Amino acid sequence: MVMGATGSKLEKALGDQFPEGERYFGLENFGNTCYCNSVLQALYFCVPFREQLLEYYGNNKNVGDAEENLLTCLADLFSQINSQKKKTGVIAPKRFVQRVKKENELFRSYMHQDAHEFLNFLLNELVDILEKESNAAKGSPKSSSPHEKIANGPRNPQANGVHKEPLVTWVHKNFQGILTNETKCLRCETVTARDETFLDLSLDIEQNSSITSCLKNFSSTETLNAEDKFFCDKCCSLQEAQKRMKIKKPPHILVIHLKRFKYIEQLSRYKKLSYRVVFPLELKLSNTVEDVDSEYSLFAVVVHVGSGPNHGHYVSLVKSHNHWLFFDDENVEMIDESAVQTFFGSAQEYSSNTDHGYILFYESLGSKS
Amino acid sequence: MMSTSTSSSSMNAGHPSSSSPTGLKTYFKTPEGRYKLQYEKTHPAGLLHFSHGKAVSQVTLAHLKEKPTNLPATPSSSSSSAGVRSAAARLLGGGNGSRALSFVGGNGANKFAGVAGGGGGRAVAGGGGGVGGSLGNFDGRGTYLIFNAGDTLFISDYSSQDKDPIKAIHFGNSNPVCHAFDPDAKDGHDLLIGLHSGDVYSVSLRHQLQDVGKKLVGAQHYNKDGSINNSRCTSIVWVPEGDGAFVVAHADGNLYVYEKSKDGSGDSSFPIIKDPTQFSVAHARSSRSNPIARWHICQGSINCIAFSTDGAHLATVGRDGYLRVFDYSKEQLICGVKSYYGALLCCTWSPDGKYILTGGEDDLVQVWSMEDRKVVAWGEGHNSWVSGVAFDSYWSSPTSDGTGESVMYRFGSVGQTQLLLWDLAMDEIVVPLRRIPPGGSPTFSSGSQSAHWDNTCPVGTLQPAPSMRDVPKLSPLVAHRVHTDPLSGLVFTKEAVLTVCREGHVKIWARPGNAQEIQSNVSETAPSLTTKDRPVLLSGKVSSNAGYKQQQAPPSTHT
Repeated sequence: MVMGATGSKLEKALGDQFPEGERYFGLENFGNTCYCNSVLQALYFCVPFREQLLEYYGNNKNVGDAEENLLTCLADLFSQINSQKKKTGVIAPKRFVQRVKKENELFRSYMHQDAHEFLNFLLNELVDILEKESNAAKGSPKSSSPHEKIANGPRNPQANGVHKEPLVTWVHKNFQGILTNETKCLRCETVTARDETFLDLSLDIEQNSSITSCLKNFSSTETLNAEDKFFCDKCCSLQEAQKRMKIKKPPHILVIHLKRFKYIEQLSRYKKLSYRVVFPLELKLSNTVEDVDSEYSLFAVVVHVGSGPNHGHYVSLVKSHNHWLFFDDENVEMIDESAVQTFFGSAQEYSSNTDHGYILFYESLGSKS
Repeated sequence: MMSTSTSSSSMNAGHPSSSSPTGLKTYFKTPEGRYKLQYEKTHPAGLLHFSHGKAVSQVTLAHLKEKPTNLPATPSSSSSSAGVRSAAARLLGGGNGSRALSFVGGNGANKFAGVAGGGGGRAVAGGGGGVGGSLGNFDGRGTYLIFNAGDTLFISDYSSQDKDPIKAIHFGNSNPVCHAFDPDAKDGHDLLIGLHSGDVYSVSLRHQLQDVGKKLVGAQHYNKDGSINNSRCTSIVWVPEGDGAFVVAHADGNLYVYEKSKDGSGDSSFPIIKDPTQFSVAHARSSRSNPIARWHICQGSINCIAFSTDGAHLATVGRDGYLRVFDYSKEQLICGVKSYYGALLCCTWSPDGKYILTGGEDDLVQVWSMEDRKVVAWGEGHNSWVSGVAFDSYWSSPTSDGTGESVMYRFGSVGQTQLLLWDLAMDEIVVPLRRIPPGGSPTFSSGSQSAHWDNTCPVGTLQPAPSMRDVPKLSPLVAHRVHTDPLSGLVFTKEAVLTVCREGHVKIWARPGNAQEIQSNVSETAPSLTTKDRPVLLSGKVSSNAGYKQQQAPPSTHT
């Protein structure tokens, strides 16, 4: 480990406030793998996710014939960080990165990758693996133990004996929410609601706005008319309609992706929007079906550094035990909470500040207890 | 459940024909007429030192009264009044000359027009009006704008349309971040300045204006080098009728009470805060030292503090999202409430002390009633955090009949780049939203969803955040994009509403009717200036920045 000096600096900064059992490790960069590192740090400090992954690791590490996959590689990595003797340092996520490149040719090149795309790929891949394992377990009732483990943390496996379709894995339990797409026919006023699940919300952004405002726009009413009419089942014809998206079931971990990379048709390429979009440290969703007013707390931000979509760098800000940490590949530093606002974006188009919040991770406070 | 009906339409107002290249219109409409961009105040950006990080600009309006003749003159003016006179003349001469000209000439490089558009340019044509007799020595009356940017505190003449400040005070060691002015201060020290380092100064504004240097003069220095508290100052206020007492809030959740009559050099010491989650007050052990008391308010930063007009109550808002109201003399918490979510950033009292406005990271303007001890309205219409709120104390309701039945308030708020104006009519707001069931008794049913309206909280308790469905919503009267940079505050004056952005640019929006008045006053003085100064303009494009640099060029004798 090369970065011993950095480690001691962070340890010094935290002093006796260094959280017991916590590890702050930088991740080595294997040539433009910062998109991966930044997302990994955010996920590592998503405590319920980390705990469940480590439990999964604990339950599966002795299964000798277990085939290596993205899930086992991630579990290995988290366990490796978690079981370090030192409190700080650097780890090389070599096996994990190799696995990612093997699984998806998109990430195979040394080009700059999109962190959100990676997060999406990773979570969906984990879900697939868990579902496959569960199905395999169902198929062979003899090995019923992995099935229980997978479905939920082994803390109370008996509570999860019955499974709804489709299977709700612990990845779902953390990240999945349900959107409902309400369409109201303007002729017969029948409301058709269609539910869809999501693991993160991708929001369109505007210059000088807030996440609250972007969420409101996300749920704003849209009128379907002219070329874009709605086929009403009751009227049995195309009708003008009003459509809006509401959050039916808010997720435990709310992941918000800011659409900072916009395809500009005139240029036939993507452009980075450096808009200043402020995000509060606490948030409530008001565009929900029920008036739940559940409060979320920000615990991680994946930041894109750079002026364009095809180059640049990713870093992450992470809140752990009420301290904010800055992860930049190998380096880990402590930062003040107020430093988070330097990553909001630029009020003017041309600005020297190119560090912009890109993926926000909020954890629900309500369901913590 | 959202009711932002009028806001969306007014926010999108903006005809390309009347907007400048930056997309900003130079006027906005209200029911009582048009507010017009009258002029702007800014500072030479090139001279700023951001070595101590960026500071958000705040603006303080300062009315200097006629100088009482029986008071002993300030040290510098008594010893070298002639020198002061000439120095001031030099500063102001520059102001009325070259720099004012860049508005008058209408040349292509007119920076003002580039920002504000043609309408704005015309409105200030002939700028650089006089300061009404107080020009030479600042002994007379005058109204000044005090604002901070970088490590500098700028003073602009409010009654002049000159864009540049007449005075710049450099701090060097740390950024000034908050300031307050008391027009009725007795012994001359009327201006308070809080620094990023935690240091606090009290000075005489007139004294600063009369001095030629770039440093603070005749200052009383408190909390030197952050010896008592080294966290950032966030808000500083005079105690109304407080006999020279003032309060400074800090980013670590503490506020300190000072008395300017006491020497600042003797440091106070305070006991360690035992429970940082609890409100506690500690008094200085020595009666001779400053500060005299420390109030531990909350964990995290106190973002803004405000006294009710009579000085009886002190309101604080902060990072933890709570509005707290204290009985100042009893040093007791009276009431408080949590924001819908996120930190609260600003607060202010209605002139009659009945309501408190807060704004914060939930994009809402919150109206708290002192009588009802609850949130009576949420203003929805900002599309970002609310960074400044103010009541328009000069506004009188067109429908008010003096019976007090239909009390109306006008207030303004700023968030990101927008200014919003609101009308608050209490009889309209409160009654329909008490959710009296149709035909039911007007007494409140218990256990209903209107619990928010029924419960009276005991004194000294903090209420949790109200639920979205329980609070009546207000929609703004007007929403206007006023700056390209995020705004940090607003001030209502008799003639105008002032908006300031984080970077330290102030815009003065004349009230309906007032624009004409100011303009006609200006045009009386304009012709002579225009003819006299035209050659200077032609001798080269004098940007406002360059003009300022020239003015600053002579080495200061006060360093």
